[in-house]
Amino acid sequence: MSLLTASNLTKRYSRGGKTVAAVDDVSFAIAPGETLALAGPSGSGKSTVARLVLRLIEPDGGGIVFEGDDFLALGGTALRTRRARLQMVFQDPLAAFNPRATVARVLDDPLRIHGIAPRTERPRRIAQLLERVGLAAALAQRAIHEISGGQRQRVAIARAIATKPSLIVLDEAVSALDVSVRGQILELLLDLQREQKIAYLFISHDLGVVRAIAHRIVLLDAGRIAESGDARAVIDAPRSAIGKALVAAAPRLDRNIRQDGSSTARQS
Amino acid sequence: MSGLRRFLHTPEAVAGVVILAALFAMALSASLLFPGDPQSIAGPALLPPFQDWSLPLGTDRLGRNVLAELFHGARTSLAVGLAAAAAALAVGAVIGTLAGFAGGLIDEVLMRITDAFQTVPGFLLALAFVSVVGPSLGVVVVAIALSTWTGPARVARAEVLSIRERDYVAGARVIGMHPLAIAFREVLPNALPPVLALSSVIVAAAILTEAALSFLGLGDPNRVTWGGMIAEGRTVLRTAPFLSIVPGIALVLTVLGVYLAGEGIVETTAVKRGLS
Amino acid sequence: MSVLASISDLTVTYRRDGNEVAALKSFSLDIASGERLAIIGESGSGKSTLALAIAGLLPRGARIGGHIDWLLPASASAKAHLSVLPDISPSKGEIAPSSPLSPITNGAAGDDATATLPISSQVGEMSGRTEGSAVERQLRHLRDGVPLLGSDIGFIFQDPSASLDPVMTIGKQIAEVTRTHLGLTWSQAYAKAKTLLERVRLPDPDSALHAFPHQLSGGQKQRVAIAAAIAAGPKLLIADEATSALDTIVQAEIVALIRRLVAEDGMTLLFISHDIALAAELAERIAVFRHGQLVELGATAQIINAPAQAYTRALLDAHIGLDAEPLLNRSGGRA
Repeated sequence: MSLLTASNLTKRYSRGGKTVAAVDDVSFAIAPGETLALAGPSGSGKSTVARLVLRLIEPDGGGIVFEGDDFLALGGTALRTRRARLQMVFQDPLAAFNPRATVARVLDDPLRIHGIAPRTERPRRIAQLLERVGLAAALAQRAIHEISGGQRQRVAIARAIATKPSLIVLDEAVSALDVSVRGQILELLLDLQREQKIAYLFISHDLGVVRAIAHRIVLLDAGRIAESGDARAVIDAPRSAIGKALVAAAPRLDRNIRQDGSSTARQS
Repeated sequence: MSGLRRFLHTPEAVAGVVILAALFAMALSASLLFPGDPQSIAGPALLPPFQDWSLPLGTDRLGRNVLAELFHGARTSLAVGLAAAAAALAVGAVIGTLAGFAGGLIDEVLMRITDAFQTVPGFLLALAFVSVVGPSLGVVVVAIALSTWTGPARVARAEVLSIRERDYVAGARVIGMHPLAIAFREVLPNALPPVLALSSVIVAAAILTEAALSFLGLGDPNRVTWGGMIAEGRTVLRTAPFLSIVPGIALVLTVLGVYLAGEGIVETTAVKRGLS
Repeated sequence: MSVLASISDLTVTYRRDGNEVAALKSFSLDIASGERLAIIGESGSGKSTLALAIAGLLPRGARIGGHIDWLLPASASAKAHLSVLPDISPSKGEIAPSSPLSPITNGAAGDDATATLPISSQVGEMSGRTEGSAVERQLRHLRDGVPLLGSDIGFIFQDPSASLDPVMTIGKQIAEVTRTHLGLTWSQAYAKAKTLLERVRLPDPDSALHAFPHQLSGGQKQRVAIAAAIAAGPKLLIADEATSALDTIVQAEIVALIRRLVAEDGMTLLFISHDIALAAELAERIAVFRHGQLVELGATAQIINAPAQAYTRALLDAHIGLDAEPLLNRSGGRA
């Protein structure tokens, strides 16, 4: 059974008197512990889908079933309680936190709101979370703006896993990071997935990264699904026009030492 | 740290702080230097300044010590000015935040109320309120706050409208934070700097409004106020102009001090923001 | 190939919270005329500081040491010495790997150099003050000296929305550049702006002339920014992360556009990027930066195929291309 099923999601905006569909009849399902990538050029509606799934915006049509319940029917306290199971990591970890916050406060909020740990136990839980994402417990006392971009994204992941979610939406979560840090963050995400059976909705424009960590892919173009399927199969041999354009545009390292046997994908 | 240094390198800010410090010293030392009722008779009536060194600024029509009145008046001016500004900023920030964050009908209702208050001239509003409820220090504070909260409310709302769309507000929703907690813990503190930049203007306006109300006899009758002193001196303006001039100068200096210090703070924070 | 600019011992330090932070440490490099040179590095590597230093755009308060010698063949002043610093560099004009000096030593050297400036006219000032003035004077020299930004150097920023004026039409923004630097009349400048918009392949250049930046997409805005950057026919085009804010498809288009324009106009290109794969597609030479120092410099093929430094190799390995081995252990990954 799938963890989350989105069916016929539609979101329209009116711009200059005209109605534009940012997301048009998009359906997909995510299984427990699975990584589904949502890829496409800018303006394809992938971030809008992320925000619809998280109910940060409301759809104009369609339905979302999450953990067996009609997610769109939830409201008020019921919705806020259920949010513990559905978390998010943003692209820019600096913008994703209150500029006045400390690391401790950022991690204390979800523990307090969902009553996961009593006040006296929370500092210990915060230390555990920090260590789980590969950070020193002493980092808790630092302000968010004092730590590095990679550390911030680790804190964002710690915050997301604090409430033991079954699904985390990663909205371009590694796009703003340095390449050396990006690899480590991807490894951390995979570790957490294996350990806690978390499913990811991985939104990215970078097909290389998508191919490296996603099980399945949904390619969006102008708000519609252009192509979907096994991530590696779709990226290695795209059938849709947008898939072909994205693959052709991806920068590649033509390293002679790597050219043996790996040049097949490039020819397509 | 470096902000403070930059602040102290701005001459007008230093001048403002010096004036305000002197004013606070006057207000705090009033009952030490001039114990007892400043409105009691201390000497012959209408003694000009610099004649008798026990009464350096002379006496008024009833023989009261002008210097003692000036010191005690500083208390009223500062207390009313700061309390009214604090109340106006607090009410304005809360209403502006609620309107901006909630949007929709709540925003409409709150902003139309703000419009209603803004279309009535502030001073008339304060005047009407005091004449209906009766003059006392608390009522004067409320009256002034009532006529000045709309500015902070509008600024706060505009700021909240932009902050509301930021990722960290979405992040707070994702972790299941209550909307009111988001509004007052996440949004309001970050919307405050431009609202607080209004404080110098509001404090200065509040001090002037208080003086004007007292001048019209609508101040707290049990307290000495500079506005009251000016009004008192009006009847003998030709023979003893100093009775109006001395509190008038105090009022001008106070408003100037508040403005200069406020400008200094705004400039310092602006420079800091520009660099970072 | 002749040298366009020779950078010797360039050191840039910023003051941050009272501390001196070295963003570039004693960096030397020759930029050949007509070459496409990529500067690669992660955040904090000093690559953007280098771009700003070359363009003379460093913020006030940045302390600059070393010098940049320009050899602009067509320019009025063929060789402008841009620095007032005395020549203390033993390796002037050479492509040398960054010196192993520590930032503290560098800072001290900078202080010494500054102190030897003829600043005795400012009698009566405290020594701290005098030093500050010297730094400002140094900056002014860098700004006043040829080459002129806009005319000799074109600069493309990362965020096109921030580099375009939101309340001025596209046509006027480009026309202003040619009016200022080429002395054209308004009608000539507008005609030139239209050809430039055609050259950057903006759809419907006639109506784009009268459009405002917010009416264009991100990629179109970057095309306009490029048109403005090349409007006055610069010798050197600096692209500072010019495609980082764009999606993959638009990025590839912009890279192709830059390549074509540089070839057509015989410009020298300085391509600043964090993406080594992207840089390898465009550049002939790659300079790898880390912590304000040059790690490795070489021909693109050599850097990509036979990197000499471990850090360069690490950067190449960190690239996740379409042919990379998936990180996902597919047998154990799915529930």
